[in-house]
Amino acid sequence: MGAEMPSRRAFLGAFAAGTAGLAIGFRWQEAAGQAAPAPVTPMLRSNPRLDSWVRITPDGRIVVLTGRVELGQGVLTAMRQIAAEELDVAPERIELISGDTAQTANEGVTAGSQSIRFGGEALGVACADARATLLGVAATQWSMERAALGVRDGVIEGLGGRRMTYAEAASHVSLVRPVDTTARRKPPMAATLIGTSMPRTDIPAKVFGRQVFIHDMRPEGLLFGAVARPPGYAAKLVSLDMDWARGLPGVVAVVRDGSFLGVVARREEQANDAARKIVAAARWQDGAALFGGKTAFDHLLTAPAETRTIHTTEAGPAGARSHRAEYRRGFQAHASIGASCALARWDDGRLTVWSHTQGPFPLRGDLARGLRMQPDAIRVIHAQGSGCYGHNGADDVALDAALLARAVPGKPVRVHWTHEEEMVWEPWGSAMVVRLEAGLGADGGLASWAHDVWSFPHSTRPGGSSGCNLRSAWYLENPVPPPRATDGALPNGAAARNAVPIYAVPGQKVTTHFHAEMPVRTSALRTLGGYFNVVAAEMFMDECAALAGQDPVAYRLRHLRDPRLVAVLQRAVALSGWQPRPVTLGRGRAQGTELVGTGVGLSKYKNSDSHVAVVARVAVDVGSGAVRVQRMWAATEAGRAVNPDGIANQIEGGMVQSASWTLMEEGRWDGRRMTSEDYHAYPIIGFGQVPAIESVLIDRPDLPALGVGEGSQGPTGAAIANAILDATGRHVPEVPFTPERVLAALRA
Amino acid sequence: MLRLSVNGRTTEVEVDPATPLIFVLRNDLELNGPKLGCGRAQCGACTVLVDGRAVRSCQMRAGDAVGHVVTTLEGLGTPERPHPLQAAFIAEQAAQCGYCTNGMIMQAAALLQERPASLDEATVKEVLDHNLCRCGTQPRVVRAVLRAANGRGA
Repeated sequence: MGAEMPSRRAFLGAFAAGTAGLAIGFRWQEAAGQAAPAPVTPMLRSNPRLDSWVRITPDGRIVVLTGRVELGQGVLTAMRQIAAEELDVAPERIELISGDTAQTANEGVTAGSQSIRFGGEALGVACADARATLLGVAATQWSMERAALGVRDGVIEGLGGRRMTYAEAASHVSLVRPVDTTARRKPPMAATLIGTSMPRTDIPAKVFGRQVFIHDMRPEGLLFGAVARPPGYAAKLVSLDMDWARGLPGVVAVVRDGSFLGVVARREEQANDAARKIVAAARWQDGAALFGGKTAFDHLLTAPAETRTIHTTEAGPAGARSHRAEYRRGFQAHASIGASCALARWDDGRLTVWSHTQGPFPLRGDLARGLRMQPDAIRVIHAQGSGCYGHNGADDVALDAALLARAVPGKPVRVHWTHEEEMVWEPWGSAMVVRLEAGLGADGGLASWAHDVWSFPHSTRPGGSSGCNLRSAWYLENPVPPPRATDGALPNGAAARNAVPIYAVPGQKVTTHFHAEMPVRTSALRTLGGYFNVVAAEMFMDECAALAGQDPVAYRLRHLRDPRLVAVLQRAVALSGWQPRPVTLGRGRAQGTELVGTGVGLSKYKNSDSHVAVVARVAVDVGSGAVRVQRMWAATEAGRAVNPDGIANQIEGGMVQSASWTLMEEGRWDGRRMTSEDYHAYPIIGFGQVPAIESVLIDRPDLPALGVGEGSQGPTGAAIANAILDATGRHVPEVPFTPERVLAALRA
Repeated sequence: MLRLSVNGRTTEVEVDPATPLIFVLRNDLELNGPKLGCGRAQCGACTVLVDGRAVRSCQMRAGDAVGHVVTTLEGLGTPERPHPLQAAFIAEQAAQCGYCTNGMIMQAAALLQERPASLDEATVKEVLDHNLCRCGTQPRVVRAVLRAANGRGA
């Protein structure tokens, strides 16, 4: 990212050079303007205690706490920046505690691109309150105006060289009280850390092989657990020779509870080997075939569903003609490089679990119900895992570790799923069908817009008030079944996320056809339904533009009223060197043996967060139908940027991930279970297919920070889809756009 | 008893020679660098150097490492004396979750040893094509490897 600001390197360099003498002195009167008071962030309403956000210890330590957790998105670096900015201390002096049910605020799950917008705002206000309070102590003691005081790296400075450390000031006042939510954060103009690309604090440990991940934790007496999974989701355990199983090499304990079966062993490979042998030796009874033998799309369209129209706007004049289309996406996986892992230990009936869950508190609640115990007897501590991209096996494996560790009290047990186990047993991203219908006026303009989406659930996370969303609980002798799944409501939606059009069209109608019953368990995959709703709506938009004989960018601009979306669209288009022209349906753009096309995609994530426009250029091989993305350009605007390079990393990484989803990824199953169990059966994008990416950030320090971590997937998929339409002139309705599907469209 | 040479040190480990090397490195020698990924040599997270060649330690029997020189991420460099690749990955901020980072660096380290001259983007992408990253940091990883190759580690 660059263009609209100094280069990324300049930012990094400036930070590195400035660290020693960091300009963290700041006086209120220097502020060029005051930020408007923001509404109280919901995180402070649910976690009002100041000491659940910041503590100054008598020995001068500055402890900052956040309920948000590091998923590889760099959020702890950003939180450190925010806290250091508001407290006026050097970032490296802060001790940061994250995601521990015994210590931090309950911020629910770190998901949905909400950490900076809500958690960061709460932390910022709490730290501003702490700073103002401590400054007030010095002002009173020195009989000076508060405005005459400054803070330099945690030391309050007054006239005549007076100095007071935060620790000393804190000894005269209680910071154990509710946060004063009227505390004013520093005006953005005065910020010296927020808005800079401070290097990630966790990357050095990762490149030097220091202990970072749960997978690397090796407490004294560590044992290894593994689960012997049934041959299918609905299979039940009939019998197992337990004595034989206990005699397998290295096995310390065999746990059988209903159809839940697992082992604890002295060595990791012994636990894995024993689990494999036990699966093969046990007698299982198969359940009913998945989807009754139908395709997932047939199931979605024909099985009983909850149909609800969730959004309508007033109709305008009827269109002169209409256009309708259907789009489909199969199941897609999180496919984390490192499978899920947890470490559990029981001591006198109390359970401690180290987990890379996105939500330590929600996980604790479901663990308590699954294990039939009180939540306050459980402590969940976050430790990093491999990137999750939504609800993968992270929570499930925590229950597995707890169930297995219960057989060896006092001993820590680490369970690290195999990759096959992750692919087969994690919740998948839902298959979806989207149907769109629009009326077009005589001038080609949109006169009405109806978006119907058929989907399985997009969030079956832990955190409900009943039941248990941890998989192994369903297989116990006394099973704790999951609560009935529900769909997320608008404005942000789940199945219908981003189904409400960003375009000014009269006569809007959004309808969901929700399947709470899911033969293949589904849950949150990064963006929930947002990715595919954007892909479908933006493909449809290009088809309408083509019918109107208009350039896709001009057609969007004529229907846009949101200046922030206009700004990113124009910026991405300019960056890409877009040549205005209408898409010609039924005719490709040949260059040698390839068809070459350019497409655009646009979205405002959740209709409330980051604005992202992407342009993609693809080449389609006429003989094979293979699509190669040659280049992508993006423009992002997400309000105030806390860490521009962190945003670039999220946006550009999301573009690569989305290219992978869009071109390659689709889960397959047999009668019993998902069968896409490794990277051969479920390939993801490799270096050879990753295109060159150029992206710019439009920073708006005058506007609140918006969620960015899921901003680019939808528009990227849409840009690739529309580039294929431009290249081939053909409608390819099903993601992923595999060579077979593109070839079929070319030959149709 | 296996005698293994890892990161310049010789260690004796009481383990079945058929044990995959990854488990011995991680659980017996308590090394964090090599990561267990797919366990099927498809992702590259477990890559180590054996006599300077990049090897997937999930597929190598520990017994087969006897008599060879094994280097893991920890043996490549330290914060005080980083390998040019380690410095370059920090300079380029070439990670998100960092789980694949070990494999990226170790595979690239072998490449830099073999072909220090005339390294271009296409070559880096070709050599790393079977190292998977799910976060989408491939463009940054390529920049970091080229940065290290051009002697601009930090």
